[in-house]
Amino acid sequence: MGETVTFWVLAVASVAAALGLVFSRKAVYSALMLGVVMLSLAVLYAVQDAPFLAAVQIIVYTGAVMMLFLFVLMLVGVDSSDSLVETLRGQRFWAFLAGLGFAVLLALGFGNVVFAAPTGLAAVNQAGNVPSLAEAIFTRYVFAFEVTSALLITAALGAMVLAHRERAEAKATQKDLSRARFVAFGETGANPASLPGPGTYARHNAIDMPALLPDGSISQLSVNRHLARHTEELLEERSGELDASETPVAEITEGENSK
Amino acid sequence: MHVVYPAVVAALLFSIGVYGVLARRNTILVLMSVELMLNAVNLNLVTFDVWLRDQLHGGQVLTLFVIVIAAAEVGIGLAIVLAVFRNRQSIDLDRLRDLFEPPNSSDPDGSQPAATKVTTGVGPE
Amino acid sequence: MNTITAPAIEYLQLAPLLIVFGAGILGVLVEAFAPRYLRRAMHIPLTLLSLAGAFALVIVQTIKGVPTKPSAMGAVAVDGPTLFIWGTILVLAFISLLLLNDEDHFVPAASAVPGSAEEERALIEGNVHTEVYPLALFAIGGMLLFPASNDLLIMFVALEVMSLPLYLLCGLARRRRLLSQESAMKYFLLGAFSSAFFLYGTALLYGYAGSVDLAKISTALSANVGQDALLFTGAALLGVGLLFKIGAAPFQAWKPDVYQGAPTPVTALMASGTLVAAFGALLRVFWVAIGELDWDWSPIMWGVAILTMVVGAILAITQTDIKRMLAYSSIAHAGFLLVGVVAIGDAKQNATALAAILFYLAVYGIASIGAFAIVTMVRDAGGEAWHLSRWAGLGKRSPKLAGLFAFFLLAFAGIPLTSGFFGKYAVFQAAVAGGAVQLVVVGVVASAVAAFFYVRVIVLMFFNDPAPDGPTVVLPSWGTASVVGFAALATVVLGVFPQPVLDLAQSAAGSLFVR
Repeated sequence: MGETVTFWVLAVASVAAALGLVFSRKAVYSALMLGVVMLSLAVLYAVQDAPFLAAVQIIVYTGAVMMLFLFVLMLVGVDSSDSLVETLRGQRFWAFLAGLGFAVLLALGFGNVVFAAPTGLAAVNQAGNVPSLAEAIFTRYVFAFEVTSALLITAALGAMVLAHRERAEAKATQKDLSRARFVAFGETGANPASLPGPGTYARHNAIDMPALLPDGSISQLSVNRHLARHTEELLEERSGELDASETPVAEITEGENSK
Repeated sequence: MHVVYPAVVAALLFSIGVYGVLARRNTILVLMSVELMLNAVNLNLVTFDVWLRDQLHGGQVLTLFVIVIAAAEVGIGLAIVLAVFRNRQSIDLDRLRDLFEPPNSSDPDGSQPAATKVTTGVGPE
Repeated sequence: MNTITAPAIEYLQLAPLLIVFGAGILGVLVEAFAPRYLRRAMHIPLTLLSLAGAFALVIVQTIKGVPTKPSAMGAVAVDGPTLFIWGTILVLAFISLLLLNDEDHFVPAASAVPGSAEEERALIEGNVHTEVYPLALFAIGGMLLFPASNDLLIMFVALEVMSLPLYLLCGLARRRRLLSQESAMKYFLLGAFSSAFFLYGTALLYGYAGSVDLAKISTALSANVGQDALLFTGAALLGVGLLFKIGAAPFQAWKPDVYQGAPTPVTALMASGTLVAAFGALLRVFWVAIGELDWDWSPIMWGVAILTMVVGAILAITQTDIKRMLAYSSIAHAGFLLVGVVAIGDAKQNATALAAILFYLAVYGIASIGAFAIVTMVRDAGGEAWHLSRWAGLGKRSPKLAGLFAFFLLAFAGIPLTSGFFGKYAVFQAAVAGGAVQLVVVGVVASAVAAFFYVRVIVLMFFNDPAPDGPTVVLPSWGTASVVGFAALATVVLGVFPQPVLDLAQSAAGSLFVR
């Protein structure tokens, strides 16, 4: 009974999450939805006499693959989302039709199949799920197991080839950087000192709270420009309080070491 | 529990994955949809393994292999995505249409425009 | 405490595979530990010797006698057809690698943006990605394993081992980087999509037969009743995955894009090796696992074969790019080969058809590597001259090169005195014997349409005036020259005396696939 309830809850959850994956516009939501699908499937495996697979599913998929997805999403821009303009007319419609048709086909197929009652794995799992899996991997499927190593080597090598950059020249030391900063200061007047930290003198020390200068004005330089939402809010708030003559922004030109 | 229900759930997940691959244009989302399809297959395999009087855990072993292979595949795929992104500042599949049909111009350096075109975009950070 | 009996591995039978994979791993170690300036000098002998050694072992195995049962606990079937396919793939891979190591076809620093200072520096320092050698070896290892796999699990692993390095290699072209990366992306996404279908098919067949062994699926065909839906859906999805790899008609879209964008030596490897391997696997699935069902699948395969031939031949005509044209030609050839796949019947008929397919694969692979080798030699300022108009009048400026290219095109067309003629003849003859006369008629018409286009290219090369700023023909290095020479020689010899190789194919096919 418990198994059935678990199954139905997770089935609904995973299908809903899968729909969320393909329909949500923000890529990050999709990634999280994929995580939900993977986790529910892991529990489904555990329910269906496959505890080892459940663990592997969580470790490899939710742990490694999901992190890889999120990492790359962050790298290419977290706000990446599909535009809704169709460049191929009717693409969505035909894709929907293809998916639906496929589902109907499969459902009809399964409807015609006479399934006997499941035998269950109690007999096979008697020696323990992991030992019996291990036996299968290291006897019958040992060659596939060994060949898979070639696949993993390929993946590692491929990632190295495409993403690794060899440093062609020596890394600039702190001394070099400092010298460069002062040269820049001499030439353009760029601020050679470090920028003010966020949250200084403010009511919060969150990373997106701008620092307040001694005169109470806001230093926009103290906040990463991608996080500047609060700065603007605060600016509006402050601009009411402060005189119009006073510029709320510190007049330090942005140096090279912007955050 | 009857074996047909998990099988149907797997079929649904697979079909949703098919829709995702066909409809989405963000490369990473397409890759995620492929992962969804592979996960659906895994569910199916585990279900069949329970159902069949299988002596050797064929389904579970296959699932294990699929998980490993999918991880390797994602690694390679995302490396390719990153390489493309670095050159084009975009991972939109719609923009990948230089290989559409042969361009009609036959200028001697027909290759050059393709190489310089993107560098006019936002410079690499 | 239960003990596991150690698996029995027939090392000698698997030796060709093990050598290729082992050399790949050694190559990775070379990458890790050897200084940069030594790497190339170490990779070239390692790679070529391992392929030659594997080929020698295939011959030893053939002389020693063909094993009659699968090796490695029933995972790999080293039988007559496998040995022939292994020999073919190893020869094709060897000459593709000669082409691959010969010129700097590959990018100096794949992670650098084209035109950036970083790339400039890598160019000046003469960096090369020597990782391509181990990657190519892994791909070749996968190609060897794919047609030899005796169960669907190892077939899936082999499919991925073969494909993943190829996805990468496609994206590493030195010139026209964006096209190259785009082709890698397309190949990867479509490849992953199709392998998901392959896998779902595997899962359903597993549900049907309770095993992923091809032989057990075959025995389950008569034992199981009431689960035909699982069987048919599974077989269809498996077929989608396999037909994608050979580039058959509804799933051919990737081929022109990938062939065009990939570095030409990699294209040569894919056009020959991957096609041979994928046909081997297709035959094994359709003839061994579901061979008894041929009444059910052969009408569909008929349709696919006709569509593939027609699409390949007709779309080739509209192409203006030499590599795309060769890609469509490869699609058409896949269609001709499918005609042989349909010609299934009793054991004798099967042996004839199988021998014809094996022979066709060998001769087509060699001719296509030769053609792509010539494509690498015709250069413009920005790299290879792909556009057909650039090839106009080539026959007047470098008659030898154009003559060889014309010869390969004639071999594709199947003109007598070229190897392509006997390949087509053998396949069509087998198909007629198998009762697929209508299919052969379509095949002959499609060949004629394709021949029209090949002749058009030849006319363009020999009877048009060359452009004043036409492409230059680079002086071939010994590698390219020997590839072209070998391919041309093989095409002539097999076109005049095909009998020895035909006999070899027949004796390889005589034992059919082990079960």
